[in-house]
Amino acid sequence: MNKNFKQTSRTGSLAWLLQRISAVILFVLLLFHFITYHFLTQGRMTSYQYVVARAQSWWFPLLQFMFLLTALYHGLNGVWSVLEDYTASKFWRLVWYSLLLTVGTILLFVGTLTIIKLYTLKIA
Amino acid sequence: MYKRTRFYDFTYYNFIGSWAWLLHRLAGLALIFYLCLHIWVINSLTYGEAAFNQVMIFLNSVPFKLLETGLWGVILFHAFNGVRIVIVDFFKGSLLQKKLFIVLIAVAFFLWALGSYLILSHVQWRVG
Repeated sequence: MNKNFKQTSRTGSLAWLLQRISAVILFVLLLFHFITYHFLTQGRMTSYQYVVARAQSWWFPLLQFMFLLTALYHGLNGVWSVLEDYTASKFWRLVWYSLLLTVGTILLFVGTLTIIKLYTLKIA
Repeated sequence: MYKRTRFYDFTYYNFIGSWAWLLHRLAGLALIFYLCLHIWVINSLTYGEAAFNQVMIFLNSVPFKLLETGLWGVILFHAFNGVRIVIVDFFKGSLLQKKLFIVLIAVAFFLWALGSYLILSHVQWRVG
């Protein structure tokens, strides 16, 4: 590992480092997410009341927002590094980058909206 | 301006590392595709109980449960190969990256079998 990665940040090494950091966070969060949502609570998951009640606990919005942000960053940064490998022209790099940024913004908006709506929902 | 990279070159594919690299990318692309769908579908939770139940019927159907075991496999491959990448990058793991790949993928495969068993045991095979 280049200890002076700050000096070469224009080469994308900051993105490289952030990709590793978000990977470690996601490793924990995604396995936790899968264990709790897909394995343990499968029977109760089908109940609307249970899902909404859990979404209104204090830790839920914080954890989910952090999860959403990390996953979107890691995923779209990953797509960007794939595209970067096969796109030489400056024009197309700009097009792809803008597209990824737009997709990321829309999904962040939709996801955050879901979290907020679930948190403030009144169950009849 | 650098030379255009070919999409793949099979002369390099005699090595575990090359396959790990390619599969990691493909798995990553599949996962970001799934994440987009996931965020979109979960949004339907906010449109009331009827809409929620409609989505849940689909999510608990047998085809989706089978897809879910596939998703769990792709996640585990990407996650455990990712652990190998972090070890290679930060802890001089390049000296034993092939052994690491075999060990970590074996662990991932074990977890995949365990998780898939749990997922499929949730399926209500009887109709109605």
